Order: sequence, then C-alpha cells, then structure tokens
Amino acid sequence: MSIEITNLSKNFGAFPAVKDISLHIGTGEMVAFLGPSGSGKTTLLRIIAGLEFADHGEIFFDGENVTMKSANERKAGFVFQSYALFNHMTIFENIAFGLRVAPRFKRLSKEKIRERVLSLLETIQLSGLENRFPVQLSGGQRQRIAFARALAVEPSVLLLDEPFGALDAKVRRELRAWLTAFHEKTHLTSLFVTHDQEEAFDVADRVVIIDKGTIQQIGTPEEVRSGSSNNAFVRDFLAMDI
Amino acid sequence: MASFIDFRNPPGSDRRADSVIRATSEPLWVRRTLIGIVLAFFILFLVLPLAVVFQGAFAKGWRHFITAFEDRDILHSILMTMMVTLISVPANTLFGVAAAWAITRYSFIGRQALLAMIDLPLWVSPVIGGLIYVLLYGRRGYFGPWLQAHDIRIIFALPGMVMATTFVTFPFVARSLIPLMQAQGYEEEEAALTLGANGFQIFRLITLPKIRWGLFYGVVLCNARAMGEFGAVSVVSAKISGQTNTMPLEIERLYGDLLFADAFAVASALSLLALITLGLKTLAEWKNRRQFEAGQRALLEQSIEAPSS
Repeated sequence: MSIEITNLSKNFGAFPAVKDISLHIGTGEMVAFLGPSGSGKTTLLRIIAGLEFADHGEIFFDGENVTMKSANERKAGFVFQSYALFNHMTIFENIAFGLRVAPRFKRLSKEKIRERVLSLLETIQLSGLENRFPVQLSGGQRQRIAFARALAVEPSVLLLDEPFGALDAKVRRELRAWLTAFHEKTHLTSLFVTHDQEEAFDVADRVVIIDKGTIQQIGTPEEVRSGSSNNAFVRDFLAMDI
Repeated sequence: MASFIDFRNPPGSDRRADSVIRATSEPLWVRRTLIGIVLAFFILFLVLPLAVVFQGAFAKGWRHFITAFEDRDILHSILMTMMVTLISVPANTLFGVAAAWAITRYSFIGRQALLAMIDLPLWVSPVIGGLIYVLLYGRRGYFGPWLQAHDIRIIFALPGMVMATTFVTFPFVARSLIPLMQAQGYEEEEAALTLGANGFQIFRLITLPKIRWGLFYGVVLCNARAMGEFGAVSVVSAKISGQTNTMPLEIERLYGDLLFADAFAVASALSLLALITLGLKTLAEWKNRRQFEAGQRALLEQSIEAPSS
C-alpha cells in the first residue's frame, strides 16, 4: 500500500510537533523516520496510524483519503515501543485479539483463528508459548509477540515505534535481521521510528531525517550517509555518533 | 470519612509494597509505647463500641433479637435502605467509571474543574448535601412550584433520599479509579484500537479487566457509605417510621423511643453489613496483590531459566 502525506501539521498547545510535512511512501517500501527525541517523528507515525489527529493536512492510503478515519477503521499494524501487550491475556489471546474483535460477518471461524495464530507463532519462532502470559516472556520474545499480534489482522502497512528501543544490543541485532528478512519476503509497506542511525541505515530502503517537526533530508541510506547534504542539522546529527 | 480512600496508592494500582519502613532505627521503648497507644486507641474507639452494639442487640436474648426483625416498621426500614442503595450505587458506579474515563483519557475544557468537583461531597457536611436538595426541590425551592403543580414528590420521599445518598457517595468510585487509570496509561487501549476493536470492545476486553479490583473496591466503599448515610438522608426524609425511614434513621427513632434492644438489633444488622463490606474490601486488596505477585514470580522464574533473549 502506498501512503501520501500532504502538508501535515500538528500542535500540542503552543508546541508545534509536526510542521507542514509532505511525503510519499511507495508500496513495499521500508522507510525509517530518524531524528533526535522530541523531533516529532513519533507524532508523525501516530498521525498516520490514526492515534493522533492532525490540525492541518491530509493522509491518503492507496489514494483513499483517510484523514478523518479513526485508527480502528485504518487498521494499520502498529507496534509500540513498550509492546503494549495485553497482560491479562495469554499469548494466544493476544495474537488472536484482532481476529476476535472483527465484526461477525468478517470474523474467521475458531479453527481458522487457531490456525492463523499458531502459524504466526511459528513465523516468529515462539511455538509452544501460546499458553504463557506476557510477563512470563523476555523483552525480545514480547517484542516478537507484538509483531505477530499486529500481523494477525493482515494489515496493509506496518508502523513501528522505536521497535527495538527497549532491548539489549544482542537481541536488537537479531530482531533487526529478522525484520529485514521478513520485509524481503513479504514486501509489506513499513515505517519505523528510530533515533539510532545505524539501525535506520541498516534496515531501511529510505531514511527520512526529521528535526523540530520538519523533514531535513530524504534519501537512501547511501545518499544520506555520503554526507553530501548542505543542511547544517543533518551534518551535525550524522557526525554525532560515528 | 475521606481518609477511607488512599488516594495516592489505591488497591488496584500495581504499586510495589516492598517499601517497608524499618522500625529498628527507633529505640525499643519508643516502638513499644507507639504500638501500645495505637492498640489502646483501636480497642477503645473501634473494637469496644462494635462489641457493645452486638452485646446490646442480644441483651434481651436471642428470641427478642429475632422478634425485632418481625416488626413491620423495622423491616420496612431495611427495605428502604436496600432501595436507596440499589439505585444510588449503580448510578455512582456508572458515573464514576465515565468520569474516570473522561478525566484520564481526554483533555477538555473544565477537566480540572470536574476533577475538583468530584471531591466536593467529601468537603461539605452531609447535612448540606441534604439541604441543597430541599432548596432545589422542596416546596419553597426553585423547582418546588412546578413539581407541586405536576404532583411530583421528591423531598420527604424516596427520590430525594436517593439523590442525597448519591450526592454523598459521589466520589468513591471515580476516586478509586482515577489514579489507577492514570498509572496504567492507555497504550493497551491504543493497541486494541489499531487492531480494529470498537470503543465498547476496548472497554469490556481491555480496560475493565485492568481496573476490575480497583472498581470493585470503589463500589464496595460506595455501598458501605450509601447504607450507613444518616445526615444527608435525615434532612430530606420525612422520618416517618414504616414509610421513609432507612436503617440509620430507624435506629435513631428506636433509641429515642427508649427501645434499646431493638435499636441495637438494627444497629447490629447494619454493623454486620459493614463487616461483610470490610471482608469484601480485604478480599479485593488481597486478590489484587496476589495477581501482582504471581506476575512477579513468573518474571523471576523466567529470568533464572533464560537470562538472555
């Protein structure tokens, strides 16, 4: 699915979080929003998901205007930084949630839901954990459950908010490789927010550098890393931890 | 009465209870004296009066205790208390959940004012809680003439008593939920939203299980206050035995009529309800703690089994 964003702005009180951002994301792309904390990248992601509403501007999914649609109508798969798993439900119930709340006429049968959940558990290599509760899993395992839960409803776009932010370096690298492999296989349009340059350059097809609510540079990892930008912020930002 | 609710650390919140104060820093005699004072106070002001109520109830023997509850007026007062409670507690539960939801989930004009207003019944005397309804709906009140013209009785009748009770018990549910819901945040609700759930599904499947023991605690407290309310109800009730007397009002009447054994019999029934409430409240706290500890244990076992990944 392609995403078109035109002149998007959002203020929190007097603070402008997103300032007049326009952006096109092609079908099957993996795009990273890279920037320091407070740059507005997460707000932009949340507006695309429908968890936040813009003051100005429009959003189109595959040419359809979704600006006024709520998050449950847009059904963009969203993975939260803190996983946001349902702690009172088992892993099975977590992954099945999106399938179970579907309107009756669209809902899969119990057997079909079971099949889908178990095959997702296999995909994320956590078969056999379906009866555990989230608190019984490690951080990396929880993150993968969060992926599986988002993927269960077969979203046409995946939005990831600092997906590896809370994990240690080793698990981070493993999951990053897993995500890259998953994207190469499915070509699901994906956007992810990160403040980690290495992560952005390593995983994304295209990197969008954001600061103070505006886009500073867009380009492939090679283009951005080459340092050809004449934008002062981008040069300083890239020089910071290399 | 306000002190019944621990606002900062309500029973539903998953707050660690491991910050035990170390008593070893005080000399032994200080500790002994403090504990002694607390125990003496506890016995003198809580245990002894409660024991006296039950002793008074059975002063004339079992038989008399039972015949007290065969009295039509006394039975009617129990019925009245139940009716008032059955209307005001669900009303305040509904309001409390709605208010807690609105205050913790949305930012709107008047949010701070609403937050402050919820506490109002805790600040003012219950008598005033009753009086405001007389001023509004009484014969000489604002809506008095209109109500009279349409032959609707609110004051000195059940509707007024329900209103006064609802006023007094207004804060309990909302107040036990607000800090809890603030602490929990709403990421899980957002996750459910992106998975296609509608508002009602989110409330039933995500929010309600998360807050259920906090909610239960609030409802139990609200219920206890509703059953025992005297001041506010006495203002709006005509205090006619067998018609508009609730249990607390009936106890006062019986005592005034020097029917001590009967008064204590009703009082013991009311105390018993309070003790049951206390038991339920303790259960809610215990359940909540157990749920939390189970989670902690599982986490610990997991970290021993698999230290990484």
